[in-house]
Amino acid sequence: MRSIDIHAHVTPQSYISAMKGGQVWHGVQPEPLDIEPQLEWTPEQRIKDMDSLGVDVQVASTGAQFYYYGGDAQAVAAMHRECNDEVHQMTIDHPERFRGLAQIPMQDVDLAIAELDRCVNQLGMVGAMIDDKVNGKTFDEPEFLPLWKAAEQMGAVFLIHQGGGTLVRPRTRSYHLPNTIGNLVDRAVTFASFVMGGVMDACPDLKICLAHGGGYACYGVGRMDRSWDVGRLPQIPQPPSAYLSRFYYDCLTHSESALRMLIDMAGIDKVVFGTDWPFDMQIDWPVSWVLGLESLTQDEKEAILWKNMEKLLGITSD
Amino acid sequence: MRSIDIHAHISPEGYIRALEQGEDWYGITAGANWFHESIPRTTWTPEQRLTDMDSLGVDVHVLSTNAIFYLYDQDATRVAAMDRECNDYVSQLTRDHPDRFAGLAALPMQDVAASATELERAMTQLGLKGAMIDDSVNGKTYDAPEFYPLWEVAEQTGAVILIHQGMQTVVGDRINRYHLPNTIGNLVERAITYSSFVFGGVMDKYPGLRICLSHGGGYTCFGAGRMDRGWQVRSEARVNINKPPSTYLNRFWYDCLTHSEPGLRMLIDSVGIDKVLFGTDWPFDMQIDWPVSWVLGLESLTQEEKEAILYKNLENLLGI
Amino acid sequence: MRSIDIHAHIAPAAASHLPEGQTWHGFTRQEMKGRQFLVQGDKRQWLHPAYSLTADERIAYMDSVNVDVHVLTTWVGMYNYDLPGDVGAGIARECNDYVADLTRSHPERFAGMATLPMQDVNAAVAELERSVNELGLKGAQIADHVNNKTLDHEDFLPFWSAAEQLGAMIFFHQEGDDTIVKPRDTKGWAIDNSIGNLSDRVVTFATLVFGGVLDRFPDLKVCLAHGGGFTCFGAGRMDRGWQVRSEARELGANIPSTYLNKVYYDCLTHSEAVLRYMIDSVGIDRIFLGSDYPYDMGIDEPTEWVNSLESLSQDEKEAILWKNLERVLGV
Repeated sequence: MRSIDIHAHVTPQSYISAMKGGQVWHGVQPEPLDIEPQLEWTPEQRIKDMDSLGVDVQVASTGAQFYYYGGDAQAVAAMHRECNDEVHQMTIDHPERFRGLAQIPMQDVDLAIAELDRCVNQLGMVGAMIDDKVNGKTFDEPEFLPLWKAAEQMGAVFLIHQGGGTLVRPRTRSYHLPNTIGNLVDRAVTFASFVMGGVMDACPDLKICLAHGGGYACYGVGRMDRSWDVGRLPQIPQPPSAYLSRFYYDCLTHSESALRMLIDMAGIDKVVFGTDWPFDMQIDWPVSWVLGLESLTQDEKEAILWKNMEKLLGITSD
Repeated sequence: MRSIDIHAHISPEGYIRALEQGEDWYGITAGANWFHESIPRTTWTPEQRLTDMDSLGVDVHVLSTNAIFYLYDQDATRVAAMDRECNDYVSQLTRDHPDRFAGLAALPMQDVAASATELERAMTQLGLKGAMIDDSVNGKTYDAPEFYPLWEVAEQTGAVILIHQGMQTVVGDRINRYHLPNTIGNLVERAITYSSFVFGGVMDKYPGLRICLSHGGGYTCFGAGRMDRGWQVRSEARVNINKPPSTYLNRFWYDCLTHSEPGLRMLIDSVGIDKVLFGTDWPFDMQIDWPVSWVLGLESLTQEEKEAILYKNLENLLGI
Repeated sequence: MRSIDIHAHIAPAAASHLPEGQTWHGFTRQEMKGRQFLVQGDKRQWLHPAYSLTADERIAYMDSVNVDVHVLTTWVGMYNYDLPGDVGAGIARECNDYVADLTRSHPERFAGMATLPMQDVNAAVAELERSVNELGLKGAQIADHVNNKTLDHEDFLPFWSAAEQLGAMIFFHQEGDDTIVKPRDTKGWAIDNSIGNLSDRVVTFATLVFGGVLDRFPDLKVCLAHGGGFTCFGAGRMDRGWQVRSEARELGANIPSTYLNKVYYDCLTHSEAVLRYMIDSVGIDRIFLGSDYPYDMGIDEPTEWVNSLESLSQDEKEAILWKNLERVLGV
């Protein structure tokens, strides 16, 4: 039994050493390092932990704190190149254990396309992780269409993962709700942006994976369908629920019944293994969690743990 | 809500530095290196540990040096020196972070006199709260009279003795697969240790002795009925004690590391709520992942019981 | 078979029939693009045409969709929490007298919920007491926040205490399109409603649970409109947050999902799979019929829809259609 984790984060070692040494890093002023201790681990220590967890492959993504979409595009592009080179090195040193998702400077679509192209076509990375929004813009904006088209051609996968504040934050900052509710709201809005903005129609081969099980997208699609029924979404030919199976979702629901519903609505071939390593909101023992789910068949568990990811990423097992 | 963890391990800084630099440290072998390299959290700095404690909601770790440093089968002088360094290190951490750390000593149990001396030093000079020791010492159990001097010092100084297996348990000889030497072995060891103290008359001889059995005392409370039956029907079981072994259940303390709510409930009902302590086994995979919220979320415990376990009992026991 | 609908809006005649040129609590009536609005300063509240129906016309509609009882709530244009407290209190009194009159003149067809000036908690408590004790209303409808203050704020403790003592049900319903999703609804795709309503409702559940309100007032009757929004589906991640973050455990004593069966929900999910999921999560005794009359985002044929659901047993359908509300509200 294999397992491939699409939702696992990295902090660049170059950033860590700069902060510890009190040096500026791509415009980031020195600040006290405030990251999970696991993020300081070497790739070898990380592999020990993956062994303990039973995770064979991490598709590693530089953490969301490095989006910096509000920063100067050229400077952030340089930062992202360094992030991506580090992740690339992990995949070179341990090709059996790591794959990579790129950071791309979304504030400049041309630069984003160039970096995605470098990462996918030269460095062999599988795609990119991006935020739910770019400086207030959602992904239905026509300016992003060239990126989706380019990604479609490259076969790149986008992992959608919030950064900074979610939509819940203006209402309440208490009780960790900006994360526990906010991530899931943001993901539903992103689903809606891609679908209602016609991106999924314009790019039939675009591969989007919505982190955190797609948030509330599948559970809330009935009400989106209702707004289509009553004529509020004339721009798309089908109700939003018809697009559920166009996306991929990680299994990070923290609920068996929610995961079961996701599988039933999106299709078992669309749900992939994702753990959010090493944050406290991760699944603690993710492989055994999936294996222990009573409402899933063995085939479904294998599809989630590795088979779907192998297909999606073109990884072949021995 | 506070929380104090009696079952949290640490490795001495001196060893970690030697490991990183590829140097020898008191003759510690490759076995210890493998242990630390396999479990990256064992090499975390105190600051990284504090970050993790904050995340877990744990206020205080009662630090005990990892069991891999027991080394009861090695040269007593060398191990005694090593233990002194371990204990100095833990003591320093409790001084650097008095609100976050308390400590238990490591003892060279192959030399009872040296152990008694080191325990006394730990209690009177280092400000530690007791010691952590194995379930047995080179095949000897704690009913052996040679250990009396140690119990005497422990009783006099008010030390808490945390019982915790070493790297092997009795189960390993029978079956060394499926992690059973740990998942069953630890619990068997603890029941044997309980009976050694009780049937050996140690608890009667040292009424002030304070023993904490980790892993919820293993199978002790569940199996006490059969020990009572043995005491009833066999004269050799009554050599040292005049009352059934189960009557000693409330003489011991236990951590809450049962991985089972019914298991913990039974423990509380058997030994009394004032004897159950918060213990997590940080930083190992067999720990409780989110121990504070695990305790708080238990439906069969009252709020008072949860507070007793999380901090009140340990505040009383250790004077924290 | 009976049917009782917890989610059915109305406007007081004084507002819906406000003559041109006259003012009502500072509002005037204006027509824009063929629609009628109540206008005051920047506020512009759409008066749905159904609000001009007479009681008999409304009952004729109810008969046509096999609904026996509407538990009337005023439309959210009556919240006005941003206006001065005395203005809000005046609007609320008029709304509540109007709704109470209808319940008295048609006791078999109407029950009612109060409108409250939540910007003034003392006035809200007084009006809730009057509405329940003197007017015979069953509780009140309030928004998910009051001028961006969520209902776990300590200011509202007297309100929750009064609601618990009075046995009043508090029905949560967002104010118009002012949901947390609004900032990203830039294209007019109505996701401020289709996603936003559901998001606001789960925030409300969470603030009541994590904020300790449901612990402090264990007999409180809370009903979350729109099937509680994302509450049931999102409970796993709330549980995880409670597990791993001390700030999440500060006030709420227990695992969030254990509170799912402490509140009530309407069935307005637009999805059989979601309603089934809710029933399995919260228990069948917690779910009421709710149609959102007269809006297009409501259920067109509410009783027919419930009766058509293949995954529900007959007992479950009856519980939703009337038995639960009859038991809980004494309708």
